[in-house]
Amino acid sequence: MTTPIIRRIVGWLLPFLWIFSFYIMLFGHLSPGGGFSGGSVLGACLILDRHVNGANAFGARFTGERLLKLSLAALLLYGILKGQSFLAGVLHMNGLPIPLGTPGNILSSGLILPLNVLVGIVVAVAFYLIATLFEEGHL
Amino acid sequence: MQGLHLTSLLSILILMITAFIMPVIKQRQLVTKISLATMGVVLVMLALVAVDVARVEHYTATIGHYDAPFGITFDIGPIEAVVGVLFAFVSTMVVWYASFGIHKEIKENRVKLFYTLIHLLLASLLGIVFTSDLFNSFVFIEVSTLAACGLIAIKDKPENIKATMKYLILSSLGSGLVLMGIAYLYSMTGHLNMRAIHETLQVSVAGNERAILVSLTMFTIGLGIKAAMFPLHIWLPDAHASAPGPSSAILSGIVIKAPVVLLFKVLFMVYGHEILKDTVILNLILIFGATGMIMGSLFARVQTDLKRMVAYSSVAQMGYIFFGFGLGNAMGMTIAIYHILAHGLTKSCLFLSVSSFIEQTGQRDIDNMRGIGREMPITLAIFSLGGLSMVGIPMLPGFVSKWNLALAAIDYGQIFLLLIILASSLLNVSYYFPIIINGYFGNANLEGKIYKSKMKPVRELVPLILLSIMMVIVGFGSGPILDWIASAMPSL
Amino acid sequence: MISFLASHYFQIGTVILFGVGFMTLLLNNNLIRKIIGLNIMDTSIFLFFITIGYTGGREAPIINGAFKGIDAYVTPIPTGLMLTGIVVAVSTTAFALALTILFYERFGTIDLSEVMDSRGD
Repeated sequence: MTTPIIRRIVGWLLPFLWIFSFYIMLFGHLSPGGGFSGGSVLGACLILDRHVNGANAFGARFTGERLLKLSLAALLLYGILKGQSFLAGVLHMNGLPIPLGTPGNILSSGLILPLNVLVGIVVAVAFYLIATLFEEGHL
Repeated sequence: MQGLHLTSLLSILILMITAFIMPVIKQRQLVTKISLATMGVVLVMLALVAVDVARVEHYTATIGHYDAPFGITFDIGPIEAVVGVLFAFVSTMVVWYASFGIHKEIKENRVKLFYTLIHLLLASLLGIVFTSDLFNSFVFIEVSTLAACGLIAIKDKPENIKATMKYLILSSLGSGLVLMGIAYLYSMTGHLNMRAIHETLQVSVAGNERAILVSLTMFTIGLGIKAAMFPLHIWLPDAHASAPGPSSAILSGIVIKAPVVLLFKVLFMVYGHEILKDTVILNLILIFGATGMIMGSLFARVQTDLKRMVAYSSVAQMGYIFFGFGLGNAMGMTIAIYHILAHGLTKSCLFLSVSSFIEQTGQRDIDNMRGIGREMPITLAIFSLGGLSMVGIPMLPGFVSKWNLALAAIDYGQIFLLLIILASSLLNVSYYFPIIINGYFGNANLEGKIYKSKMKPVRELVPLILLSIMMVIVGFGSGPILDWIASAMPSL
Repeated sequence: MISFLASHYFQIGTVILFGVGFMTLLLNNNLIRKIIGLNIMDTSIFLFFITIGYTGGREAPIINGAFKGIDAYVTPIPTGLMLTGIVVAVSTTAFALALTILFYERFGTIDLSEVMDSRGD
């Protein structure tokens, strides 16, 4: 599957795909996109990298354990950030005082930006781990 | 005091967050301790929810910052509080029991996953019970299905994979039907909040009769699959019999109860009695429930595998709950909710004692359980107490259910339904009593058995004993509990 | 009747699709086909929700420039719900496929009828 042509083209393409996935995540609150779509593109990047450059070269940089820890940390942070907002909602109070910024800037609309990035990380790692699951066949 | 309203949401949040801490912790002991501590905290929180509800009768917690028809809310009344406390209590006891022996039954590296799945499962079940938003409850149902599948497949034997596959396929069918039902309701009313749907539906019945009937059928069958309503129960015996012991106790004790509570809310709080009395749905549920009571017991009677027998007994007992719903009067519904309580405690007790028989003797056949009462007297005593409750010995919760169910059936006006309750009880006697009698008595059975030779240490039996004590308390204190549940019944 | 069919052809199509997926999931013995049936069924429900939410002639609910009044935009709720629904369907599918691999490793087949014992109970 990894002919030189594919390897060369993917080598050119991957950096752009990485940047594109981050763009989707970071601009999710301003334009179509967001955590899930950005995370799926990022996950596709990881899978492509692994398939083309081989599991060994790729696995040295991102071991499954390390990725899992990253994604669990993101989930934890998400739970705490969104959880405090939910809890504040029960009490009819405002959550953490995050400045809203001017609409249209990247740093605006409060919690949405960090939550998008966290969701992106979780989704990317989940997609990647599912793909490796099929390669190795462990549940 | 608004602060207490937080506890319902906080219990779910804590469970979800701790579930994802566990996979990165190295030592098994630490994982066990964290899990037990979390379960204890959640149990206390849900007890606080019950106290809160007892004080104000009913409250609504707004999740997010939008109010009822548009945002998601938790509507918590006596029914939700009682069922929530039951779920937390049973899972606490099961986790306590599992902390002694789960690593013997599943692979060492899966133990952390087991606790993660139990936390996710309890969180999603509490979500199903508490939420008043239909789509939200669908998402929680899917989470609970996947977590429950994981709890069965965690043992990795061929029959577990087979049972999980069966369960996953049928559950997906059920989820699809439920989601389609939600879509119908949404297209008719434009709301997802249960109260808002109810109010809109009362006005717009005319012209929508067929759509209402179709969506009602979809909800009944979809949730009926998940709750093992009789003809749709075929996944249950395989799944519950092949899962590891503590998993079976959770699956049979509480996992099949959450869809029942949701079905209750959908039938009587979303559609309401005005719509139901013009359809045949309640009669169908009554027939399915009655058939389940008889057929489940008959199937249990012919099993040779002890765990399969107890699993089939679950089918019969779910029949009682659907029977109560099908009667459709206030007493029937009250007793159905009470039976959720009674069966949840009793069946988890039975499954845990059966799994300790299997663990200590290595045998699964009923015939090999002769004389077990001399080797493991305390465990068999707990099993007997559970069996007696199922059969309906006075003052145990099973008796309270049957007695009141009989009264509700008389109230309904069909005396022959009493015969079904009676026949089902007699069938229960015919498969629980032989085990108890052959376990304790008969010289041929007791020959060569050494007293207390296979008994577990008493400290490992504490959760089982607590469960059975709770069961007796629920039986003796049935009066106030029934009154409290009845106070929350939607007016007919 | 005909006018009802003509005006609701989207909903009728999705319900037919739902039936196709449902029967494939229920009656086919091949596990992979069952999973395909599951996906058809889920997709049909997503389509159904989205057709409920769409009103002809209105814009996507993104305020670009000036706000044009409530009647100018379609309701965003069904679309948002279905985004969640898609995530749920993806995770169910992934779990089912992983389970199928395990199934194949244990039994050497992905045909359910070869493995399931056809006892009546």
